[in-house]
Amino acid sequence: MADLVRAGVVLQRVRRRQNGDVGRVVFIALMLLPAIAALGVYMYYPIEQTFHLSFMRSAGLGEAAFNGLENYKFLFSNDEFRAGLLHVFLWAFWSVLIQLPLSFFVAFSLIAYRNKVTQPLRAIYFLANIMPSAITAMIGLFIFSNTNGVLAAFARKINWTWLGKVDFIGDPSLAFWAIFIVATWTYTGFPIVYLMARMEQIPMEIREAAELEGARGWRYAWHIILPMVAYPMRILAVLMTIGSLKLFDLPYLMTRGGPGDATKTLGIILYNQGFVNWQYGSAAAVGVVIFLCSLVFTIAQFSWQGKGDLE
Amino acid sequence: MRQLHGPRVDLGAILITTVLVGFALAVIVPLVLPFFFVFKTRLEYSYNPWSLPKAIRWDNFIQAWKSVQIGRGMLNTFIVCLGAIACTVPPAAMAGYIFARYRSRVTEVFFYIILAGYFVPIQMVLLPLYKMSVSFHMADTLPGLFLPMAAFGISFWTMIYRSFFRSLPGELAEASRIDGAGHPGTFFRIMLPLAGPATVLAVLLVFIGAWSDYLLSLIMINSQSHFTMQLRVAQFLNAYGVDNMPRYSAAAIISAAPTVILYTIGHRWVLKGTLAGALKG
Repeated sequence: MADLVRAGVVLQRVRRRQNGDVGRVVFIALMLLPAIAALGVYMYYPIEQTFHLSFMRSAGLGEAAFNGLENYKFLFSNDEFRAGLLHVFLWAFWSVLIQLPLSFFVAFSLIAYRNKVTQPLRAIYFLANIMPSAITAMIGLFIFSNTNGVLAAFARKINWTWLGKVDFIGDPSLAFWAIFIVATWTYTGFPIVYLMARMEQIPMEIREAAELEGARGWRYAWHIILPMVAYPMRILAVLMTIGSLKLFDLPYLMTRGGPGDATKTLGIILYNQGFVNWQYGSAAAVGVVIFLCSLVFTIAQFSWQGKGDLE
Repeated sequence: MRQLHGPRVDLGAILITTVLVGFALAVIVPLVLPFFFVFKTRLEYSYNPWSLPKAIRWDNFIQAWKSVQIGRGMLNTFIVCLGAIACTVPPAAMAGYIFARYRSRVTEVFFYIILAGYFVPIQMVLLPLYKMSVSFHMADTLPGLFLPMAAFGISFWTMIYRSFFRSLPGELAEASRIDGAGHPGTFFRIMLPLAGPATVLAVLLVFIGAWSDYLLSLIMINSQSHFTMQLRVAQFLNAYGVDNMPRYSAAAIISAAPTVILYTIGHRWVLKGTLAGALKG
């Protein structure tokens, strides 16, 4: 007992010392400094710069003149940009509609139907996610290419000439979907692993109680698990939307945004404007559009409902 | 989680298991494709893309290694990966620790500043980043690539560390303070070693991310001698298209090997559940 009291006194002393402690403040400041400095220099300052540039008429690295909203007017009257904007929103729409439920299905199944067969599968789903996009794009071309592609060769083999004739990469109405399929293949790993991790944090009592109530299989998924991971699902929806605004690697490497403007994304347009045509002003304006869209989506999602049930 | 259903044979479970196996095959089969082609000559490939190779030839690997100078690219990429790890993980661990253990109104403000960074698309700031690296005399250098890369990774890993440190019992830190350890001592000697799983995961995934980066490298690196692995591979893809698949497959296999090996070794840390700490608010 006496020991306990003594320990309590020491603890109080430590806590009291913590409060007016200069060392503590210095420690906090020093610990935060690297992260804050890195973000300040490489993220927040450049954001300000992008806004600034987007109002400038500027080509190359030379002096720029204030240009008002001309860059934005140019963009919104530009067919390529409007196509890019449309593709980005379509991409976001289909990602949330297809990839998100797919991730939920796989994550839930892996957890609820754990057995000797499904257990080792967990590691596989993340595998395509760690592949460099230079390789996933190549494999995509490999499969869909009309001349040498796997699908075309397969079609010839089983005499499905109609399939052999389909040009997934060269046809403007199909190229988007060819890239989307490759993206679903390679980008769904993270949502699956993330949802799985969140589902495993659901307290055992809840799952057992649900089971006693007789909730099983898909009723269990729908009524018990889905509400518990509603917040992570919303985060994933935000990330998928932002991902589509950022989309660059796969369409750039597979089609360069073509044929025509069929797979142009805001990322590709920004790159072409800024680093191929050296039109800094309008490229920065594309950057601002990307930024504002992701800001709006993020804020909309997070203010829609509170924080989530697991917190 | 234990199985929801009893030991009796369950049609639903069989069905779901089959579907899961099917999906897993869909993930893995395309990744195995290059191995079908890599041991063939171009001629053999164009006549019989699907047959097993007549002989195991290593020519394509040797040619790919030489013609795209993969060795040099690999070295550059390794430097970028190490730089990205060194500049991402320590700042994130430190900040995450403060946000977990020293919460106050001021630190919360800083936390949201860093959290918000997770939602900023790097595409938005490519131009200023490039201009800055020119004025810092870091254009076309490897640090000019891995520093911004790291800055854009810090947010995510700060969140992971924060939630990891929160899950550790607070008594440990308190006990260490009673023993007379200062704030830095408590962090470096007691808490940081306990965050091992988060650190392993961070090192692993930052490495893989830096290894795979394409866009930022494309912007920041101009000269061939500084080209990273992925730039080399993409350059190769542009030069030959799908026409020289065997050699391209060799380049792809070489360039993917390190991440795949690393993931094979470390995948249990990825699946451990530490990622659940992302964005827990």
